[in-house]
Amino acid sequence: MKFRAKIVDGACLNHFTRISNMIAKLAKTCTLRISPDKLNFILCDKLANGGVSMWCELEQENFFNEFQMEGVSAENNEIYLELTSENLSRALKTAQNARALKIKLTNKHFPCLTVSVELLSMSSSSRIVTHDIPIKVIPRKLWKDLQEPVVPDPDVSIYLPVLKTMKSVVEKMKNISNHLVIEANLDGELNLKIETELVCVTTHFKDLGNPPLASESTHQDRNVEHMAEVHIDIRKLLQFLAGQQVNPTKALCNIVSNKMVHFDLLHEDVSLQYFIPALS
Amino acid sequence: MAAMLKCVMSGSQVKVFGKAVQALSRISDELWLDPSKKGLALRCVNSSRSAYGCVLFSPVFFQHYQWSALVKMSENELDTTLNLKCKLGMKSILPIFRCLNSLERNIEKCRIFTRSDKCKVVIQFFYRHGIKRTHNICFQESQPLQVIFDKNVCTNTLMIQPRLLADAIFLFTSSQEEVTLAVTPLNFCLKSSNEESMDLSNAVYSEMFVGSDEFDFFQIGMDTEITFCFKELKGILTFSEATHAPISIYFDFPGKPLALSIDDMLVEANFILATLADEPSRASSPQSLCLSQKRKRSDLIEKKAGKNVTGQALECISRKAAPRRLYPKETLTNISALENCGSPAVKRVVGDVSEVSESSVSNTEEVPGSLCLRKFSCMFFGAVSSDQQEHFNHPFDSLARASDSEEDINNVCCRKFNGSDAKYFCII
Repeated sequence: MKFRAKIVDGACLNHFTRISNMIAKLAKTCTLRISPDKLNFILCDKLANGGVSMWCELEQENFFNEFQMEGVSAENNEIYLELTSENLSRALKTAQNARALKIKLTNKHFPCLTVSVELLSMSSSSRIVTHDIPIKVIPRKLWKDLQEPVVPDPDVSIYLPVLKTMKSVVEKMKNISNHLVIEANLDGELNLKIETELVCVTTHFKDLGNPPLASESTHQDRNVEHMAEVHIDIRKLLQFLAGQQVNPTKALCNIVSNKMVHFDLLHEDVSLQYFIPALS
Repeated sequence: MAAMLKCVMSGSQVKVFGKAVQALSRISDELWLDPSKKGLALRCVNSSRSAYGCVLFSPVFFQHYQWSALVKMSENELDTTLNLKCKLGMKSILPIFRCLNSLERNIEKCRIFTRSDKCKVVIQFFYRHGIKRTHNICFQESQPLQVIFDKNVCTNTLMIQPRLLADAIFLFTSSQEEVTLAVTPLNFCLKSSNEESMDLSNAVYSEMFVGSDEFDFFQIGMDTEITFCFKELKGILTFSEATHAPISIYFDFPGKPLALSIDDMLVEANFILATLADEPSRASSPQSLCLSQKRKRSDLIEKKAGKNVTGQALECISRKAAPRRLYPKETLTNISALENCGSPAVKRVVGDVSEVSESSVSNTEEVPGSLCLRKFSCMFFGAVSSDQQEHFNHPFDSLARASDSEEDINNVCCRKFNGSDAKYFCII
């Protein structure tokens, strides 16, 4: 098993740092999957995460100037690691304004992801910061639990409003209730709703637009104004929203009534899928 | 006339002054204002006496600076001068200097003066449009501590622009208490202290290499590895960014204090930090490391008893009982006392209480006969303020000896200190 990668471009480095910060906000520990052309940050729906799962994918060639890897075997040319995401984002914090960043898999007393940063200095490469991030290598037999989640056919699929606005709304609602109802229809309307014994608050978003549905025919008979709704834990939604520092180029919300809500975000070179299960 | 202080600063000066208060707040929760003809010194020492900080603002730093000492006529010809004894609680002064950037922008001047009759320091901020903000802080009459440490005799001296070290602030997690500085004639390396990360599979190990050519001055007498607290280093690094003056590091061998200083025309800052004494096996310290542990202990006790006649000696001995703690110094004691405290038998600098039980157990190998520590059946926790330390010296002294002899192992006593108040715990 081998892995070694290098970033020299400042913009790519910043972008990669941003992604790692986002991951750190979304998941305490995550799985990093390294394959010849992709990197994935994965959080799978164990009970410990309250059923939340995440799938973040980036094309390695959009970030790395050098990228070499050798998986467990030729037919399974992949590496799965478990790491504390905070450790990675913290290590990259020292990489702001760095000249180059190298990441490699090492084994120093225990397996590590070694992040080495060449800082800008007056002379040639004489300030170097290294972080050894302890990791766990995930054995082959557990890989099957870490595959890309299948998105069930949504009842409603709708574009999200500006995430910042949504975040400030949800932040305020969190003070009142622990549960939130997301409801949306095929007419571009999305409501965020909380209900307690004393008060009921709803924020309405309009004209958000719906992406064309894959299986148009099955939905033809459906009333476009019919709201599909899902009850979720407000903290999980807020965690997702707080992790988004940059507004994505595309942000989609798929609701499977009373089952789950699936967020699908697309930044330039990264896609993020985030699943929040419905409360029973 | 009573001792007094009066000074006036502009907005940008307040910023530097405030940064100094913030840096010192990492050391202690008490701060002395100590005016003299050399300028206004802010001093502090932590409760375990393992870190000392002093920032001296020269009289020309201020727009206006005035001070006086109380002169007492005594029977003999020598007059005794009594300086202002002004000890402030960090909790009361720190919030005043919180939002420094906005202070710098918005205030026209800041005036600090004392009212000794009322034991008060008055800090006034004058804003535009005649707005005035006044803080009255009560002070405690207490003689400021001073540490005499001749940094110029240190074998290793480094000087670097603060900007180049500033990245070190983010290098470690806030849970990292101690860091190790390793130097060779070519390299400077600041890294996570190994000892800390007992749980290696969880902690990130970080290091920062800086080549000797990055330094303004780089003089290494011998390859050295010293370990000290990160918190205070972080403090002075943050402060150094405000002054833009180069930061100097002076040190010798493990166990001897390290000095971090900034020497500017207007401001002079010195932070003196205790370092961990070396483990006997590493044997890079010129002290008698090849002796057996037991021998060294008795050696130390003798040395100390010989050198310091006062309660100091007792305190140093009691430190033997406290596993791995050492302290830089008391008022005006000679630094050599500190070196001794840092001898191999005692190991470590500042930690927090949560560490107590671990270190007493995990380091059992280092303390002869202390394997039995694992057998402790009951623990007693208590806290004493550092002022009361002396009362405890005697009991500790005897207990310390008990811990050395294997028969009496049930009588081991451990004492540890953390930031705010002295804590000891005692295992019966």
